[in-house]
Amino acid sequence: MRLRRHFHSEEQTGIDLAPMLDFVMNLLIFFIITAVFSKELSLAVNRPGASTGQSAGSDTGSIAVAIRADGEVWVDQRTVDIRAVRANIERLHAIKPEWGVMVIADEAADAGVLVTVVDQIKQGGVDNITFGTASLKK
Amino acid sequence: MLSKRHVAAEEEIGIDLAPMLDFVLNLLIFFIITTSFVREPGITVAKAQAETAGALENANILIAIRGNGEIWMDRHQVDIREVRAIVERLHIERPDDMVVVVADKTAKTGILGKVMDEVKAGGIKDVAIGAAGPAGK
Repeated sequence: MRLRRHFHSEEQTGIDLAPMLDFVMNLLIFFIITAVFSKELSLAVNRPGASTGQSAGSDTGSIAVAIRADGEVWVDQRTVDIRAVRANIERLHAIKPEWGVMVIADEAADAGVLVTVVDQIKQGGVDNITFGTASLKK
Repeated sequence: MLSKRHVAAEEEIGIDLAPMLDFVLNLLIFFIITTSFVREPGITVAKAQAETAGALENANILIAIRGNGEIWMDRHQVDIREVRAIVERLHIERPDDMVVVVADKTAKTGILGKVMDEVKAGGIKDVAIGAAGPAGK
């Protein structure tokens, strides 16, 4: 009987974990709800010297790609099909490996065309892409 | 004596919560570590597809541009002139965050360029254009 009573009193000294569990559970539910697992996919591009409007890199040149308001794409002063941008960039990149690409889009051109062109340029092997906007004239 | 023994028996019946607490704490730590607190724009836009689009670390501030030129960030529609101030504030709060500008396919590049300039003026140099993955992910 004495031994039993001793065991009983030891149990009484233990902390009741139920309230702590409630608290931790609530924290857990909060973090599960706020957790966002979807990563936003994106394409990294540079902007030219922004407000000052200076051209990117004066010592090295860049391959010029223009997008007109109607979605027409020009690479190296020639109009090309949007699917042919990759091949053109590959060719020019082979000639000038250290050059980046300067994409100049008309302000009224669709962003969808821009993303497709940037994607094609990246597929063509150039990662240094600068994106500028202008109002291109006929 | 009889009543005391009764109390002891009742205590024996209760489940030991310590292992459960351990388990829940581990789950909690996992979720705290993986949470990134992305600033969602609050709207969904039709993104253009790109094969080379990749997930960037710290891409936590999203700015959406709708086809009609509306700019959304942090669940509110904002004016182009407000973008800079908001970006400045968010940049001070968490300096490592970078910005992804998610433009609708039909949005104009002029607005996209202006938003990117405002973000840069707000102090965040890493700006990327949002795109959908190859299989429309």
